[in-house]
Amino acid sequence: MSDFNGEKMKKGLDPLEVNGNSRLLTHLNSCVHCGLCAESCVYYQVYGDERFVPAKKVDIVASIYRRYHTFSGKYFPWLTGARELNEATIEEMVDLLYGSCTMCDRCTVHCSIGVDIGYLVRTGRTMLANMGYVPATLQSTVNAAMTTGNNMSIPTQELVDTVQWLEEDLRFEVNDDNACIPLDQNDKDILYTLNPREPKFFPLSISAMAKVFYAAGESWSLSTRMYDVTNYAYFSGNNEEAREIARRLHDEMEIRGAKRCVLAECGHGSRSFRWEGPNYMGKEYPFETLTSVELLAEYIRIGKIKTDPEKNTERVTLHDPCNLVRSGGIVDEQRYILKHTVKDFVEMTPHGTDNLCCGGGGGQLSMSEYNERRMKIGGLKAEQIRKTGAKIVVTPCHNCVDQLIQINAAYKLGVQIKTLAEVVADALILENNKQ
Amino acid sequence: MHWYLWLTLFSLAVCLISCLYHFILLLRAGKPIDFSAPAGTTGNAIRYSFSGAMSPKKKESAYLHLPTYTAGIFYHIGTFLSIFLFFLFLFSFYPTGIIKWLLGGVLAVSSFSGLAILIKRILGKQLRSLSNPDDFISNLLVTGFQVLTLLSLFLDNVRPLYYIGVSLLLLYLPLGKLKHTVYFFAARYQLGYFYGWRGVWPPRKINNQSE
Repeated sequence: MSDFNGEKMKKGLDPLEVNGNSRLLTHLNSCVHCGLCAESCVYYQVYGDERFVPAKKVDIVASIYRRYHTFSGKYFPWLTGARELNEATIEEMVDLLYGSCTMCDRCTVHCSIGVDIGYLVRTGRTMLANMGYVPATLQSTVNAAMTTGNNMSIPTQELVDTVQWLEEDLRFEVNDDNACIPLDQNDKDILYTLNPREPKFFPLSISAMAKVFYAAGESWSLSTRMYDVTNYAYFSGNNEEAREIARRLHDEMEIRGAKRCVLAECGHGSRSFRWEGPNYMGKEYPFETLTSVELLAEYIRIGKIKTDPEKNTERVTLHDPCNLVRSGGIVDEQRYILKHTVKDFVEMTPHGTDNLCCGGGGGQLSMSEYNERRMKIGGLKAEQIRKTGAKIVVTPCHNCVDQLIQINAAYKLGVQIKTLAEVVADALILENNKQ
Repeated sequence: MHWYLWLTLFSLAVCLISCLYHFILLLRAGKPIDFSAPAGTTGNAIRYSFSGAMSPKKKESAYLHLPTYTAGIFYHIGTFLSIFLFFLFLFSFYPTGIIKWLLGGVLAVSSFSGLAILIKRILGKQLRSLSNPDDFISNLLVTGFQVLTLLSLFLDNVRPLYYIGVSLLLLYLPLGKLKHTVYFFAARYQLGYFYGWRGVWPPRKINNQSE
């Protein structure tokens, strides 16, 4: 932190420039410090520490805004608690905005005023990113994506090899030598993306989606050059890097000439490309963007695939990824899919837009320095899962899958964690007895 | 006209001009801009933001804190009532009879609510840590405004003090968190727009379409 200087300070204050940004101006001026948001935060629920009240996270950003942009903050900073941007403030910001927030936006939905708390946390992260204070662990994930094209630095050949053996498995499973996982094909209806965790750790989720595409007779392809749905720069707050990562996928869509970009099961990836990406780039996409959750629901709804819930008889519960439900409006699609693919579905309490974050959001999975906190707040999710009595937890998000697997082990839940595509693939009725 | 009325009118002018300044700032900042393809309708969501989404059933900040929420509602009713009465008083209209007692009752409850919220802020560790002088001053001024309005209904000789209190409140309002008078509406609008664009609000169901 000893490298903090005037130039960094200027860069840090840039994101608080409200001219032309009514959203920022509004939310920076709206919090009344009622503190009623406290229980909406999983960190506060677990630790009971007043530092973790969402309003504190708002205030550390808003107090800096007040100090440099308001009359009372400039001349009577003590009155409104206006704070200077200095080393002490930055240290606190890093801990509050990176280390104790999963950007789940639960507090925003429940704020008594309507302050977009998640947006202000992201703005605070942008301030820190501009000054170069992104935690090194998180930044290394962004760097991997920037330099290699995917956040796990998977070499292209490794992806190709993985897809090839998955393709062989698929042919065997569906008993059709023509079944394939197309790579780098142009002018398909769908360009399907992946979370790099899939080829690296969870290849069966790729198989599952490939099987669904096969059953649907879909015209689709993967890209070996740009397939990464994630955008950890959304978490770091670095808008230039976020824009560059989104631009690459956008450009790949244009090069491949696909009609629809289908985003793999990844909460923040969906959010950062579908909703934030066009705004990072300052332009509308010339193609349709949708999540695989919406696509799966569409397939079932229009009869493009047939499923049999009797094929999944164990009790299933659903973990809603925060970015899909609260910031993406995808709440009922996954329930509709489960209704048609599993026999015994039970909701967690709370669920949907009220769901509790699993603890893996906000880049927490990559910031190992906060592992202890992450696993501790995961205890709330563990308790929710335990109460359902489910044997399988389904979640349409690979970051959530990763966190839930760790929660499963740490809290000895004895459940299976699956993606939605895996459940759909298990329930598929393939024609011509090709299964 | 009494000097304290002049002071009040001056303060009112300062307050209105300041609030207008904030309002113009918001207007100049423009409408929200979103380049993503919308998944819903913002108009419906903005309406929902000001109605259903504010329902105590929908907000944890309300249903987990019903006493505070209720006190807050009464407090705000008292504030709006006091503002209404302020304009009546300015035109020398003073309620009488049963109306006066009814208004007095409401203001007594709302003032007590404001005081309770202030005490909670002082005594609660979590709220105290979140608070700065502005939080206490704002509450004191608004609660004081309601108490003085209540007293003015019954006591003529309290009026100089009433107008001084009102003047202080009007002069202070644009400086601190009381300017949420303007920004609250903008926040609900912005949140409604944001969630409406993404199809989060108003809550929707697809199950019915497909069965």
